[in-house]
Amino acid sequence: MLEFKQLKKSYGGRTVVDIDHLTIRAGETIGLVGNNGAGKTTLFRMLLDLIRPDSGEVLSKDAVVANNDHWKNYTASYLDEGFLIDYLTPEEYFIFIGSLHELSVAHVSDYLKQYDEFFNGEILNRGKYIRDFSKGNQNKVGIAAALMQKPELLVLDEPFANLDPTTQIRLKTLIKTLKTTNRLTTLISSHDLNHVTDVCDRIILLEKGIVIKDFNTDENSLKELEAYFAE
Amino acid sequence: MLSTFLSHQWKDFWRSRNKAGSIAAQILLGFFMLYFVVLALGAGIFMSQLIGKIFPGQDVISAFNGIILYYFLFDLAVRTQMQELPTLSIIPYLHLNISKKTIVNFLNVKSLFTFFNLLPLFVFIPFCFIKIGPTLGILSALAYVISIISLSIFNNYLVLYLKRKAINNIAYFGLIIGTVAILAALDYYHIISVMNASNFVFMNVARYPFLAIAFILAAVFIFRINSMYLRSNLYTEELSSKNEKKVSTDYAFLNRFGKVGILAALELKLILRHKRSRSSIFMGLAFLAYGFIFYKAPMIAKDEFGKMLFAALFMTGISIISYGQFMFAWQSTHFDGLLVSKIDFKNFIKAKFLLFTISCTIITILASFYGFMSYKLLLLHLAAYLYNIGFATVLVLYFATMNYKRLDITKSASFNWQGVGATQWILGLPFILVPVFIYLPFGIMNKPYWGLLAIGLFGLATLLMRNFWIDLLVKRFEKQRYKIAEGFRE
Repeated sequence: MLEFKQLKKSYGGRTVVDIDHLTIRAGETIGLVGNNGAGKTTLFRMLLDLIRPDSGEVLSKDAVVANNDHWKNYTASYLDEGFLIDYLTPEEYFIFIGSLHELSVAHVSDYLKQYDEFFNGEILNRGKYIRDFSKGNQNKVGIAAALMQKPELLVLDEPFANLDPTTQIRLKTLIKTLKTTNRLTTLISSHDLNHVTDVCDRIILLEKGIVIKDFNTDENSLKELEAYFAE
Repeated sequence: MLSTFLSHQWKDFWRSRNKAGSIAAQILLGFFMLYFVVLALGAGIFMSQLIGKIFPGQDVISAFNGIILYYFLFDLAVRTQMQELPTLSIIPYLHLNISKKTIVNFLNVKSLFTFFNLLPLFVFIPFCFIKIGPTLGILSALAYVISIISLSIFNNYLVLYLKRKAINNIAYFGLIIGTVAILAALDYYHIISVMNASNFVFMNVARYPFLAIAFILAAVFIFRINSMYLRSNLYTEELSSKNEKKVSTDYAFLNRFGKVGILAALELKLILRHKRSRSSIFMGLAFLAYGFIFYKAPMIAKDEFGKMLFAALFMTGISIISYGQFMFAWQSTHFDGLLVSKIDFKNFIKAKFLLFTISCTIITILASFYGFMSYKLLLLHLAAYLYNIGFATVLVLYFATMNYKRLDITKSASFNWQGVGATQWILGLPFILVPVFIYLPFGIMNKPYWGLLAIGLFGLATLLMRNFWIDLLVKRFEKQRYKIAEGFRE
């Protein structure tokens, strides 16, 4: 599904990402962990063609993401509020995103029905623009809009941050279900080791842009990670 | 404490991200202010002569008295639109161990540092010492000075109070302007005379200097009201915006343009839902009056289109210039989102062209009332219109790919220099020079209509080449987008 080759990015002489080679297979759920400044977000941005790598390339389905837009057809992402068009109401935003994927207004509202539980009655028909919502609720809008695009590849940056406990659990179930039903490939970064080990089947640990560990999760993973970060 | 606040403000200015831009802007603003101060001082010193010219035969002092209240009425109207509320900077201090009183005091003191408080001192005070002192005695002159300073402070806090009460100030602005206009009209038709009232008031101040205390009391009164209101409402959400129910809207007329229409609708919402873009629209409409200043009957009679070209280009192209100068930056907060979405950049650029074309067409139609002055102006406007939708749009979008400054669009546009960079300064040059150079040879050869035709044909040709421009701009955008996105993220 994804391939990172000799990917390098540095800012002012400081290396932020330096990945020699990394492949991600379709259907995998990847957890990206690492302290602040490990290069998680920068890696995501290069994957989404928002930042130009200093060298190397990212391949999505064997095509270089920087060279064509084909990956946009099957990739959905939510990194931060910068992805939301904050002067729209959530409904308008969903309809806009839907229209980019040829979904009619009826389709969109139909789709949103299944997220009633996820939204917990706090998103739709509130008579507010997205910019007036709390950060947690903005996150919900972003994540739901990403899922609505029926992606094959989903990229979420710290999706659990700012979410209330109920929604955190619901999001985890959602990702797990989509993995089995749609063979969704997911990349999640998170500081919450509990969630990551719970939902992901492969963990990649970054430090200063370098892959330190890359392993499949089992019952000992959480302890292992905690031990690593405690040092 | 006050000095700490002021030093923070000072640092805030010097350490702001777009320092170079804001310093350049401040310097320019400084020159403007200097210009006005010199004008005001000139008016102040030569007040006697000026009054003699404007109100011949009237007693100088009573005419002067008559002006004072008028001045402050206009001052009030202008302030409602121009004077900014000093609020946002206090948020980081509210939760700290600083008494509300200190914060309110800071806001009050800070609000005094405005140009509007400076101007009346230069306009009125020289006259008080040059004329009133020698004629009516030093005590009367002093009473005048005190009254004028008090009136200025009164206006200062009255405007702040009104603005805080009603954040959406357009209605207030209209109300105050309306009042001033009605009073002026009543004065003109000799029904009620503001000038006489003003004269009456200040005659008495001159006679009984202690009456100036009344002005001091009024200023103190409004100051107290303002402080009390601030103290009891020192909550950022109440100071910033009113919460009203927002509804989803759909612009059906744009749907026929497909994906391009969807993007254009998105941008239309952006324009209508943000303060800065909305106020640029109002400014654009205000510029429709430009022609009354620049179009002169003798020029029209002699077909001197070269002299009127600037006004025509500006009026018909105001939407392109005022909105286009910050192009892409309007969307800086969600630029990443647009880039990762399934949006064809070609459609993205086309949507901008669509919006420009629609807005420019509307403005040109509105400006066609100048046709009553002369049909020739319609020809002039047509040429300018073709140039604007054909070439100016391309120019503006090309410059947009060099603009990396994030734009804060939630603030009003007047005197707002945030997000202004080199591109905005340079942009105006080719916009105005290209048509001038096209017209110039024809103007010299005294073939004005051929000149208009040349500009129009140039516009038409560039308009027909639009697909070529779109491809060019998309290529350029593809190349620049990383840099733009990086700049917008800061």
